[in-house]
Amino acid sequence: MEATLDSLALGFSVAFRPDVLFYAFLGCLVGTLVGVLPGIGPLAGISILLPVTFGLDATKAIIMLAGIYYGSQYGGSTTSILMRIPGEASSVMTCVDGYAMAKRGRAGAALTIAAVGSFVAGTMGVILLTVVAPPIAKFALAFGPPEYTALLVLGLVFLAYMSSTGLPRTLLMAALGLLLGCIGIDVMTGHFRYSFDIKELGDGIGIVPVAVGLFGLGEILSTPSKTVTEKVMPPRLAELLPNRTEWRQSVLPIARGSVLGFLVGIVPGSAHIIASFLSYAVEKRISKTPEEFGKGAVAGVAGPESANNAASTGAFVPMLALGLPTGPVTAVLMAALLIHGVPPGPMLVTEHPQVFWGFIASMYVGNLMLLALNLPLVGVFVTVLRIPYAYLYPLIIMFCIIGVYEVNHSIVDVWIMLLMGVVGYLLRKFDFDPAPLVLGLVIAPIFELSLRQSLIMSNGNWQIFVERPIAQALLIVCALLLSLSALSLLLKRRDWRAKLAQAEAGDGTDRG
Amino acid sequence: MQVRRDHVAGAVILLAGVLVLAASTDLPFGTLASPGAGMLPTVVIALMLAFAVLLLLGAGASPPIGAIVWTDAAHAWRVVGVTAVAVALYIPLGFIASIALLLFVLTFVVERKPFMQALAFSGGATLLAYLVFGTLLNAPLPRGFWH
Repeated sequence: MEATLDSLALGFSVAFRPDVLFYAFLGCLVGTLVGVLPGIGPLAGISILLPVTFGLDATKAIIMLAGIYYGSQYGGSTTSILMRIPGEASSVMTCVDGYAMAKRGRAGAALTIAAVGSFVAGTMGVILLTVVAPPIAKFALAFGPPEYTALLVLGLVFLAYMSSTGLPRTLLMAALGLLLGCIGIDVMTGHFRYSFDIKELGDGIGIVPVAVGLFGLGEILSTPSKTVTEKVMPPRLAELLPNRTEWRQSVLPIARGSVLGFLVGIVPGSAHIIASFLSYAVEKRISKTPEEFGKGAVAGVAGPESANNAASTGAFVPMLALGLPTGPVTAVLMAALLIHGVPPGPMLVTEHPQVFWGFIASMYVGNLMLLALNLPLVGVFVTVLRIPYAYLYPLIIMFCIIGVYEVNHSIVDVWIMLLMGVVGYLLRKFDFDPAPLVLGLVIAPIFELSLRQSLIMSNGNWQIFVERPIAQALLIVCALLLSLSALSLLLKRRDWRAKLAQAEAGDGTDRG
Repeated sequence: MQVRRDHVAGAVILLAGVLVLAASTDLPFGTLASPGAGMLPTVVIALMLAFAVLLLLGAGASPPIGAIVWTDAAHAWRVVGVTAVAVALYIPLGFIASIALLLFVLTFVVERKPFMQALAFSGGATLLAYLVFGTLLNAPLPRGFWH
């Protein structure tokens, strides 16, 4: 514990440097805006701004990009409460009771509860991250290529199990991502794969054009401007502070949401979305007045908002400790670290302690910044919401083009982004979630390398994956999850994932 | 038989998988003890084909293909078309001309905003972006054939 505190002190010495504080603030501000604005999520925001970080060192880059991620979870509640439009998918549940509170003239109180809940959950999440990540990283030092292969397979299966679009569709998208990740020179043999004499494809397809295309442009194409409403229910800032009853009603949901969110966040999948959904369901189930839910229940705002923030922090545990991205956002963050020559994983704590602990310490500071940003500046964010979408989306397209082009100064990348935008639009029409595709693309090189290394070290004996205890245990979990999914499919049971899909579909219709 | 959403999706993926498999014939699969460059792509394509077949088998439960709402398609294709032209002109015309054109066409032609508003918006936003990225962040934006 003493060593952890010493390391954390090192982290704070990094996080409190004025230049690092500036980038943390910038990340939090942009993240809040990304969360506030419907039609642009944290993934698109991070992807578009990724090239801007190329001139920075790894610590500042990851601190700024992570600030966008957890900042967006704060910002998402503003549009949910004031406009009944989830600025971010994880704020869908906040729409229900947050907007109902706003209609009763309690918009200020709802915003404060959401911000305080987000702050408590975010901070609690970082404390848990501080405690949990280093021992997991230490344990993962025992991992060899077979264990990594099994872990990556488990990550994909877990993602598919948690997905609201169904196991075959999710795994299909992940396979497509893995296939895209095979494009370019094979690092072990030097063979060109699917590059069709286009020299820019020799290095493979970058994560940025794919992510920006699928999530930035794809979202714009799916959102015709005439359907975006700009009606804002103005908050009564004079009533910003919740009353004593509202504070009391929010304490336990915030605590429960924080713990639940962090645990869900560790698991691969759209953790922050699932966490808010589960938290709402739990709060409604244990409430003495469940009939209040949907009509402005304080717990319906406090629980989900805390859960989605804690989940966004929890998602950093596997990314930092194991080098395993649990979702598209952490996949892009991982790509950002790799671009800066800092591979995430068990060696990160020992080889780059300034990055690891500086990043963790910056999250304590970032959560404080967000609390300070979100309440006093709510009026500014409401003004941003009044920018007509007809002007906003051309600007986003411009940022997409600049961002993608600046990565490699390659126009081919911009064409890939445009193509991926169309693919993203069509995937949404056919009810495919593009997130596993991005995840597959990011893990493809690591997965291929560990799989081939495993086979080479066992002289072609595939039993290496079931003979080593850790790999065996991970694959048993895979088998269990696949069996559960198959069972659920056979019984055609309408479980929580179906309800989640319905909620996400509701998100889309709200926007539309 | 009514054609359903997953019939179309499954068939398209099946066809794409077969085409990619055909394009992979020159990649050596290797052996289990010495895997070649073609091993992972082949395994992944096989998985894709298997999932596509699963999708086709369960397609009966998916909505009819006609149920997919395409009301936003015309707008989407207009945006794609305008963006494609801007991307094609990005290097030859440079950042300022191509992006200003993109913003103007999107706001004036696609969104039917008033001419002067669209002009001011596209000019102002382009110059601001150029100042931020080109000057402040020193990003090497394309300058066009006249430079």
